[in-house]
Amino acid sequence: MNRARRRQILLGAIPFLTLGTIWQMNAVYGWLAPIHIPPPMAVWGAIFTLQDSCAGLVDALQQSPGCLFTSHILSSLGRVGLSLVVGLPLGVAFGVLAGMHRRLANALEPVGVFANAISGIAWVPLAIVWFGVGWLTTLFILLNTVFWLVFFNTLLGVRGVPRVYENGVRTLGGKRREVITQVYIPGALPSIVTGIRMSMGFGWRALIAAEMIGGDRGLGFMLFVSAQEYKTEEVFLGVLVIAVIWMLTDRACLVPLERWTIERWGLVWRPT
Amino acid sequence: MATTSLSVARPGIVLSARARRFWRQGGIELALVTLVLLAAWATISVTIPRPDRYLPSPLSVVLSSGDLLWKGILPNYVGQTLWRLVLGSLIGLALGIPFGILVGLNRHVSETFYPVLNFFQSISGIALLPILMIWWGTTEKTVFGVIVYTCFFPIAFTVLTGVRSTPLIYMNALRTLGASRLRIVRDVLVPGAMPSIATGARLSIGYAWRAAIAGEMLAGRRGLGWMIFSAQQVDQTAQVILGMVLIGFLWILLDRYVLRPIESDTIQRWGLVQR
Repeated sequence: MNRARRRQILLGAIPFLTLGTIWQMNAVYGWLAPIHIPPPMAVWGAIFTLQDSCAGLVDALQQSPGCLFTSHILSSLGRVGLSLVVGLPLGVAFGVLAGMHRRLANALEPVGVFANAISGIAWVPLAIVWFGVGWLTTLFILLNTVFWLVFFNTLLGVRGVPRVYENGVRTLGGKRREVITQVYIPGALPSIVTGIRMSMGFGWRALIAAEMIGGDRGLGFMLFVSAQEYKTEEVFLGVLVIAVIWMLTDRACLVPLERWTIERWGLVWRPT
Repeated sequence: MATTSLSVARPGIVLSARARRFWRQGGIELALVTLVLLAAWATISVTIPRPDRYLPSPLSVVLSSGDLLWKGILPNYVGQTLWRLVLGSLIGLALGIPFGILVGLNRHVSETFYPVLNFFQSISGIALLPILMIWWGTTEKTVFGVIVYTCFFPIAFTVLTGVRSTPLIYMNALRTLGASRLRIVRDVLVPGAMPSIATGARLSIGYAWRAAIAGEMLAGRRGLGWMIFSAQQVDQTAQVILGMVLIGFLWILLDRYVLRPIESDTIQRWGLVQR
């Protein structure tokens, strides 16, 4: 670790340490009631209250009701994984198909704009009407957000691939399939990856909100129920976990992925 | 959202030419797609049982809007939501922009605040709503708190990065000519941060819009979000869909005709393209 990096970490730790100290001092001197700002130790202890009757690792992985904390986390993460596995290929496939035809792309672009404008939280009431309160509703909200963002970005990416490349492959006798796999998808990859990153950002927020309003498990649901029971320490715990999960996903996976894709596949040269 | 149209110049064109261009550039396709989607929607709603609960036809959605307009509820709700968005994000921007600039001025200070801003930016305002509801109950303060919070961190973060990424050359040039520190801030750093202020403002108002809708739903304050949430609870699905369509259209109008022009004009005026 070089000096500049170490300095950055040290400097960056100052505000966190200050906030933590103030938080602990508040608990010691009691400036604000614990129901408004719970002491740090109570937030830490909430993990064990929630994990009260957890038998072990297997029990936690099975999301048994004894392990509330891990169950809620795994439930939320499971839906994110499922929506990526389902929504991503669908979004890319439809985006490539639509982007190949200029007229179709022009026609579908406003649809994408509109769908993205109402994606997320605004669908929750209608999803509750269709699927009832529960797992399916929250999955639908997440899928809806992921699909439209990936679709829209893929569409824009494919449409933005310069014609020259396509014509080049065609001239060399490339078939339609090869044009797709060799030109469109690689050319659109930076845009697709940006779409994935955006969809995870918006999707994670939308999932938490959807779980609060129309869910029956997951981190958002935990936040909402704990708030209704005035268990502020559980709410704080939930908020911290949500932030840490998002930061880990974004910093450790999505940002490097995006940077690598743009370096590897980004079309720097553009024909004028 | 995509940023492809950023570099498009906006010359003052007479309306008829613009309409003709719109028609040539996919206007026909847009009309066709809208018609096809409406037809599909109408067909589905005719064939399913209990369409008034699951998917009311486009006609009944329009009729329900007439009903709400007649009672004066709809303008009231739209006005309330927009009022919250405008006031909340103005407060957020008014706090966030100076904060970002001030923190960005000094390298040590900006390195100190960068991680903590990043951390709070990744706590979405919606996740914070339960805490605010414990603090302030379902009052107007809660919704405003969420909007201001959602607005503040993205803008402060973007402005900070914008100030820091101003090329050193400009500062050195002014310094060589003997400019004071204040002069450098006024003539280099603030104009240099203008593009990122505009981009950050658009981004954070986008987040604030979602936060306003969610806040209204959860805190039960009158507005568009509350309208679709309460309409669902009394089985008025037509009103739910009406609200969703309005939310979509309002955001597109706001983004297309207010935020994006401001952003592209700012970038044209102050954008630093180093060659």
